[in-house]
Amino acid sequence: MSLDLLELSKTFPGKGPGESVHVLDHLQHRIDNGRFVSVIGPSGCGKTTLLRIIAGLEKASSGTVLFEGKEMVQGSEEVGMVFQEYALFPWRTTLQNIEMGLEIRGMDKPKRRLTAMEYIKTFDLNGFEHRYPRELSGGMKQRVAIARTLVMNPRVVLMDEPFGSLDSQTRNALQEFLLRIWLKRGDTIIFVTHNVEEAVFLSDEIVILSKRPARLLQCIEVDLPRPRDRTSEGCNKIRRGILKILEEEMKREEVGDEDRWDRL
Amino acid sequence: MKKERYLLPLILILVWQGLSSVQVIPSYKLPSPVEIVLGFKDILIVGVPPGHLLHNHMLYSLYRVALGYAVAALMAIPLGLLMGWSPGLLRMIRPLFELVRPIPPLAWIPIAILWFGIGIKSAAFIIFLGAFFPILLNTISGVLSINPILIEAARTLHAKEKDIFSKVLLPGAVPSIFVGLRIGIGIGWMTLVAAEFTGVKEGFGLGYMIMTARDIQRPDEILAGMLVIGVIGLLIDIGLRAIESKTIKWQ
Amino acid sequence: MKKINRRTFLKCSAAVAAVTALGGVPGLSRAQGPVIKAAYLQSDIHHLPLWVAMEKRFFDKEGVRVEVAGIFKAGPEMMSAFAAGSLDIGFVGNAPTITALANRTVKLALLAQVNTEGSAIVVKKDGTLQTIADLAGKGVAIPGHSTVQDFLLRKALLKFHLSPAQAKIMVLKPPEMIGALRTDQIDAFIAWEPHPAKAQTMGVGRVMAHSRSIWKDHPCCGLVADIGFLETHPEKAKAIVRSHVAATDFIHRYPEEAIRIAIKYTGMDVETIRLAMDNVHYTYLPSVDGIKEYVEFLTQLKYIKVEDTTAFLDRLMRTEILREIMRR
Repeated sequence: MSLDLLELSKTFPGKGPGESVHVLDHLQHRIDNGRFVSVIGPSGCGKTTLLRIIAGLEKASSGTVLFEGKEMVQGSEEVGMVFQEYALFPWRTTLQNIEMGLEIRGMDKPKRRLTAMEYIKTFDLNGFEHRYPRELSGGMKQRVAIARTLVMNPRVVLMDEPFGSLDSQTRNALQEFLLRIWLKRGDTIIFVTHNVEEAVFLSDEIVILSKRPARLLQCIEVDLPRPRDRTSEGCNKIRRGILKILEEEMKREEVGDEDRWDRL
Repeated sequence: MKKERYLLPLILILVWQGLSSVQVIPSYKLPSPVEIVLGFKDILIVGVPPGHLLHNHMLYSLYRVALGYAVAALMAIPLGLLMGWSPGLLRMIRPLFELVRPIPPLAWIPIAILWFGIGIKSAAFIIFLGAFFPILLNTISGVLSINPILIEAARTLHAKEKDIFSKVLLPGAVPSIFVGLRIGIGIGWMTLVAAEFTGVKEGFGLGYMIMTARDIQRPDEILAGMLVIGVIGLLIDIGLRAIESKTIKWQ
Repeated sequence: MKKINRRTFLKCSAAVAAVTALGGVPGLSRAQGPVIKAAYLQSDIHHLPLWVAMEKRFFDKEGVRVEVAGIFKAGPEMMSAFAAGSLDIGFVGNAPTITALANRTVKLALLAQVNTEGSAIVVKKDGTLQTIADLAGKGVAIPGHSTVQDFLLRKALLKFHLSPAQAKIMVLKPPEMIGALRTDQIDAFIAWEPHPAKAQTMGVGRVMAHSRSIWKDHPCCGLVADIGFLETHPEKAKAIVRSHVAATDFIHRYPEEAIRIAIKYTGMDVETIRLAMDNVHYTYLPSVDGIKEYVEFLTQLKYIKVEDTTAFLDRLMRTEILREIMRR
């Protein structure tokens, strides 16, 4: 059982006429169920676009996404997404935000309440059920956002740099929190991040994308047992390796530009 | 401190009364504060024209405004939500509205009378024109200013178009809608009073009252009436703000 | 374009300058001194004497220069202009004059009458309303509160044992009344000529009652003057009154010519003007009793507070000028 990305390409129209921006270049990969997969790559390489295509918020220019052998359609119930900016509905309380998806699904109020309250407990949000997002800290807001997504029980959870706007202490706390939740539930998580250390701490597998247009550069298995020590040699080794790959990738493009200059 | 707020107006009133008492300000041009208070007593007890008392004038004016305003809000809010949601609809309708909007509601009075006759319908129509556009434009702006990521978040929660409309656009636009509602009632109230100058069947209305006060040469009653109109306008705004802060607890 | 010879041009300019300095060309104008600012009501045929005085140059012959400083839609507006000091004399209803004076918003004096009568109650031409009694429960438009038309309507209703509250009285500007009658917004209106006449010639309305049948010889419009003007230039005021007397006589003597002038100033057709003028009694003699009754009516209805009617009338009426002229 898996999520398959088949020859995924995406092109956006560029600024000028006839110009276009190639963002994804025949991306091909298989992600097995229940795995925690991080996606890493240079800035602007298309990580977010990839996520949005899987979520159904964008359409691929060519190629498909298959889930368990079937083509994924827009608005598929199988997928949920957590955004970096939390995207909580400011006019809804914590409880109401978590209930949003259940409301859309048509679940009746008492059942919704019950279900949502469970998540309030699990996500350590007790006492804040009736608060509005503006009254919550960054870490709390992201927990609400994750709860809102997970309460729908999607088969694939997409996370777009969810801890990017948090300070490092909150970030670490939330990473551990996420791990705890995931270990209990076993969802498939595709986690986009800039932070190599974070990726190494959390993931089973790290997918490294090239600069735009993005192709698969490398896939790195992280075999280390959990809970992991961020400062351990095992983690550091993998981290160094990834950083090196990224460094070379950055240089490669620059060299390429120089070549073109010489040829003029 | 609360008391300091009233110091300046109080001083102004005293100076004004002083200047009026020695006729530096002649009373036919601007009645003194005392005369205005007496004029207020007259419009309250004797009535302008005599027999038509202030509270009835107020009720009729409020009723006219309420009618025109209600229709304006009921039309402008749904239309604004739709126009904010659909760029195609916005493009299509906007030029027509941009053409009509600058026409002052008062300019419509002759047409209103031809279409609706003299009476509450034509007055309500004028109010409607004044209130409609601020409510519409602020509703549209309210929708357009919703962070797009909220719409995307809703989509990832499997919201269909109707869900996005009712659960994201509508609540998200509410603060702007309230701004529009407040501006709309302000304009509507101002427009009403002037609209009544032209034709009132029942013989009641604050604008009608002021016009009559002018006809019977009572500038003190004119000013007292103006103050009443201003105070009512203020109270309406305060009332709306109170409703707004109770409704929008999340900002 | 023909080029004017420079020398010729200079010669002509010198000639014109010399003649102007010597007081003008004889026969053209003897008027001198400051221009007198006059006002009247738009299309109000009651004010024909002013138009005649201007057209026939009666003011010039009396040695005064008069210019129209304002044409107003209604009396109260003219009162505001007087209050602001923008006018010297005016042709205006007795009603707004009395109200303004009683409420002390203006300092005016009534120098002479302009007309009596000249209003009518008009109903729909093919309608069912026949007598005043039929106005019970009907919508009747008046030009404004405390106007003479307001009083006339009440008097009429009272005659038929109806209280004013039994008719639905509403205020409309006279030009709007015909349209409102035509579209059945109102069942009747009472207004000054030429509006009743116009309703008839347009085929919209018919006269239910002329104002003279409600109150014979009732006062309507008067010639008023600002007290400041009166006291500073009494001779000019006298000249104005003389011109007014002459103009009023002219209307009686040469009605066809008067009609022509009326057409010019109202823009209405001859049939309407003729019909309107039939209903107006032009006279410069004020009816003291009529005005007194009017003051009492306004006081009774609480529009004004006048305790001593006689003293008020003394303040209002400065007809000694008229009497002096009449004595000669």
